Amino acid sequence: MNERQKDLVQKFAALAGLLVLVIVFSVTSSAFFTLGNAMTVALQVTSIVYLGIGATYVILTGGIDLSVGSILALAGVVAALAVKAGMPVAPAMGCGILVGALCGAINGLCVTRLRLPPFIATLGMMLVARGVALQITGARAVSGLGDAFGALGNGSLWRVVKLDARGFPDVVFPGIPYPVILMVVLAVLASILLTRTTLGRHIHAVGSNAEAARLSGVNVGRVVLFAYVVSGALAGLTGCVLMSRLVTAQPNEGVMYELDAIASAVIGGTSLIGGVGTISGTAIGSFVIGILRNGLNMNGVSAFTQQIIIGLVILVTVWVDQLRNRQR
Amino acid sequence: MSPSSPPPLLSMKGVTKRFFNVVALSGVDFDVRPGEVHAICGENGAGKSTLMKILSGVYTPDEGTLSWRGEPLQAATPQAAQARGIVMIHQELNLVPHLTVAENIWLGREPRRGWFVDRAAQRAGARACLARLGVAIAPDDLVSTLPVAQQQMVEIAKALSMNAELLIMDEPTSSLTDAETAALFKVIHELKRAGVGIVYISHRLDELAGIVDRVTVLRDGRYIVTKALAQTSIEEIVSLMVGRALDDKFPPPTRVPTGQTLLEVRGLRRRDGIGPVDFTLRRGEILGFAGLIGAGRTELARAVFGADPVAAGTITLAGRALAIRSPIDAIREGIAYVSEDRKAHGLAVKMTVAQNITLANLGAVSTGQGFIRFDRELAAARRYIEQLGIRTPSPDQVARLLSGGNQQKVVIAKWLFREARVIFFDEPTRGIDVGAKYAIYELMDRLAAQGIGIVLISSELPEILGLTDRVAVFHEGRVTRVLDTRATSQEEIMHYASVRGDTAAASNLASLDT
Repeated sequence: MNERQKDLVQKFAALAGLLVLVIVFSVTSSAFFTLGNAMTVALQVTSIVYLGIGATYVILTGGIDLSVGSILALAGVVAALAVKAGMPVAPAMGCGILVGALCGAINGLCVTRLRLPPFIATLGMMLVARGVALQITGARAVSGLGDAFGALGNGSLWRVVKLDARGFPDVVFPGIPYPVILMVVLAVLASILLTRTTLGRHIHAVGSNAEAARLSGVNVGRVVLFAYVVSGALAGLTGCVLMSRLVTAQPNEGVMYELDAIASAVIGGTSLIGGVGTISGTAIGSFVIGILRNGLNMNGVSAFTQQIIIGLVILVTVWVDQLRNRQR
Repeated sequence: MSPSSPPPLLSMKGVTKRFFNVVALSGVDFDVRPGEVHAICGENGAGKSTLMKILSGVYTPDEGTLSWRGEPLQAATPQAAQARGIVMIHQELNLVPHLTVAENIWLGREPRRGWFVDRAAQRAGARACLARLGVAIAPDDLVSTLPVAQQQMVEIAKALSMNAELLIMDEPTSSLTDAETAALFKVIHELKRAGVGIVYISHRLDELAGIVDRVTVLRDGRYIVTKALAQTSIEEIVSLMVGRALDDKFPPPTRVPTGQTLLEVRGLRRRDGIGPVDFTLRRGEILGFAGLIGAGRTELARAVFGADPVAAGTITLAGRALAIRSPIDAIREGIAYVSEDRKAHGLAVKMTVAQNITLANLGAVSTGQGFIRFDRELAAARRYIEQLGIRTPSPDQVARLLSGGNQQKVVIAKWLFREARVIFFDEPTRGIDVGAKYAIYELMDRLAAQGIGIVLISSELPEILGLTDRVAVFHEGRVTRVLDTRATSQEEIMHYASVRGDTAAASNLASLDT
């Protein structure tokens, strides 16, 4: 069996685990395996996937990004304040994403230029970005943003609604939420960039052996910077989508989301040492977390127990991965 | 053998070890007597490391028996082996860089006074072990501040402190200077007199004559023969290892060096005080960099390649002055560097063979938009795998799983694919078995014949003498002399490697090796 086949086996194992979860929850809860719930899960998972893609890029280079939860709050708040100031929704959200990218760039420069350990650089950004978000809003939620602000988070494609005999609306097909479409598009693009382009190859090389990559003519600093900018920009986007869904900008949104992002990457087989990881794996990891939460909720498992279970899942998957690596 | 010989410390009979379906060792008989140095010889993959791991209790054999002083041994563990006095010194150092020499030597076995570490006893014990080795290392030095060669000595001192009865040494001299090697051999002789049995593994077969009593040869996991060193020769051992007679250690040169200057370096100085160095490299020649470890050869090559900053000096390639600030600049101009430590600097070990080969020239297998054309990448990888005879099941094999010689060929393939005009080879055959060495020598000659300028940095003088056209001899960060290889000798090279220049008096080697 060569490495590529082994990777496939690993991926199918994760996918099989996901299927087992789906089957178990379908049996234990009648409301689980329905179209409506599938859309709910997909919607809930979107933010984990956006952030997970960024986390995968950063972890692939051998780094870590703890700041995405704070960056998403700052970006969402900036977008909302821009709308309040009279800017149309689309460019306002563009500003939010830009702010995220900027925070990511600062992270990247701290790591590549100041040579700070990624853990410290992004821990600092986690505090700074959260602080700025609270400061510029006076720690209050920004509301009254108008319907257009909610379109991205709440709208959906191909929604079919019929009026029944008495004139009440009847939802034939709930439609595919825009965030879900965005998730699929982003995941495909991120995966193509990672596996098929020279930049993606350089990301792997830097994570596998940064010194060897440098001595092979790879611009290591630029590659690492790129990974943090991607992570920051995706956090910015996540912020816009989440705030749009609430039609309110919360400076307290997204606390601890960075841990979900890292967990999804790790469950999906990304190595924290760098050099190994795929977007498809991260997507599977995100759905494992999302489906666990959703299914446990439906079965009336308390939020505390959920945390315990998800924590154990992370430990077990990483342990199994280690075993697999040790065998060769 | 002779009836008067003492009973063996450790002996194994018919030992076989399989991993899944692969037979790593089959039917090996091996024993070590007290006061004997027993060498294990074999190419990489011959089963040496499996055998060592069985000796040191890491693996349990699938078939066969082990006994210790005549008593049969059951399932062994590394702890049990160590308790019996079997100590292994690994080639890759196992020291904690942030602790002192004394703390490392006693790590996990710290002498205690009550609840506390007895620092005085620790220091005194360390000093005694180091004195026995005859090395000038202070017990309070931090290991991270020592050069690699001295770290190796600390590792050996640590083994001495364990009162080993059976010492397994894996390539102990691979990073030692001649003077340090001599000091190590003195210690080995002393240990022999004290009745310690030693299993000795080294790729430097010429060393064996000084210390080894018996030699066991393995090939492809099979036991070939055990012979007393006095009844065999290095040539015979090599041919037993390879399974065929190797007439010459070095291939006959096919290249014809030209008089054309390819690379000219003038007044190159590093910020760490190495230099100024002048040298010229001609098209189609192999220029040797000889000198003691730490003389600045690697540092100079890295500076030319842009891997480390340069303080002053000019680099001219084919008549054009270059401004090299990073490896990216050097690579663009066609300068390549095959590093000494493959795993740390040369190879992206988690990536595949194909990905490593194309890493320095991804643009050549990509579209203008930066998309990799996998068909072209695979074709390029296949071409070099065949051309260099890289032994890998497929281009998609992860580089880590290849043997040392094949990893080295992958690194070389990377630079050939980049169409390098100048290649620095830094200790290219370190840790590589005899057959693969020959292939790398041949390859270097072939590259030079194609007009590539080659610099060979090597601490093995026979390699310098057998392979190069000219030799630049380094001493304390400067080139003391450039010699014509055909008209020089080991003694002359060692002379210029040990003194500051023509005028300086020849001085004691041992005082210069730090």
